[in-house]
Amino acid sequence: MGSDVYSFALKSALDEIRNLCPDVTGAFIFREDGEVVACDGALSDKVIVRVIDAFDGIFDKACAIGGVNAITIDGLDGRVSVSRVNDVYMVIATSKKADVNYVGTVTRVLIPTVLRLLDKICPAPLKSKEPIEDFSLEAEESPPILEKRKESAIEMTLVEEEEKAEEIKGGEVGVDLGGKAFSAEPPVNQLIVENIGGLLVPSDTVRVDPAVLEQWGELYEGIEIKEVDVETFGGRSVRCKVKPIKDSKYEGKGVIQVPEKLQSNLEVKKGELVRVKPVV
Amino acid sequence: MVRKKRDEGVSAVAEPLAVEERVGAGDLRAVLDEVKGYDGVIGYILRNSTSAAIDLKDPSKIIDFAILSSSALEAGEDVAGVLGLGEVRDVVVEGGDVKVLSLVVDDNKISVFMEKCADSDRVLKKLLSG
Repeated sequence: MGSDVYSFALKSALDEIRNLCPDVTGAFIFREDGEVVACDGALSDKVIVRVIDAFDGIFDKACAIGGVNAITIDGLDGRVSVSRVNDVYMVIATSKKADVNYVGTVTRVLIPTVLRLLDKICPAPLKSKEPIEDFSLEAEESPPILEKRKESAIEMTLVEEEEKAEEIKGGEVGVDLGGKAFSAEPPVNQLIVENIGGLLVPSDTVRVDPAVLEQWGELYEGIEIKEVDVETFGGRSVRCKVKPIKDSKYEGKGVIQVPEKLQSNLEVKKGELVRVKPVV
Repeated sequence: MVRKKRDEGVSAVAEPLAVEERVGAGDLRAVLDEVKGYDGVIGYILRNSTSAAIDLKDPSKIIDFAILSSSALEAGEDVAGVLGLGEVRDVVVEGGDVKVLSLVVDDNKISVFMEKCADSDRVLKKLLSG
């Protein structure tokens, strides 16, 4: 199960919360590093990024109180609650007339249940890296009634996956297949767009958080990532060269510095989220 | 009781915290001293534009708590602005060991630190009722 499916399941759960509690004005789930795992569609990406940014200061200093378990901001016109569920944070914004106890009960039951369920079905971390799936094991554990139908599907999938593995071998990717077929989809990271300052900035090169490049480096050991595919949530995408961000203040912040011209082509602005995938 | 928005110029992360014992809002200080006697309350920070009063059982955490207190109020204002929550009444940050209740009363920024089991609603009511 990929992270997209994971996000879809959580998005559905968030949508259900809004159906059950109409006074919920927005909801999303994010990881402490700022990556958005799922959102209900009521809030724009820009708003979500700004909200997460606003919590940065608290997360940075929360070690003094043993980390953050929950944050509640009570305003005269509404309320926002952030609750930690496993290793993610769930943000629920409600109007002032919302029944806080009811909303709290629904969210505290629904989201952890969905997360537990997803963890049982596929114990994958909520990261953008695609999990390695063992299809042969899945076939062994299939219920007998569905076995025949599933076998053919699995065979097809195995063929596809083997083809992919062959392609990867051709590309000299050092993945130990161990005689089994593995999915080798490149990881997709959601990064926040930042401007690149300075003169003589090449318009075909983006600068990515060194931590992300390091992750990719570990994944594709021995292969230098020279290009990335940058895709916006509006569906625009571009392939460009990649270099690590020089400015240390952006390290580990999940940021991608994009030249102005590229931003214009992609129709994105500083603070917006884009999907970034290494080209191997 | 009228509460004002906090001063945009205050950024406790960048500025060194001036720890002074003289307090303008004497009434508030008296209320906070009373609150400090509540079960589970471990201290408070009261700041305004001219002075600060800090009373914490563990002085080694003064700086960390002061920065967290500022961050909480700042985050409250930012999130309220982005999500249209209106004027911020209070911000509660619950950690693994301690929770913090932060609010602004007039020009005074208050943060009360308490154990997780402490009744923050009771503290809030007391502070708002003065």
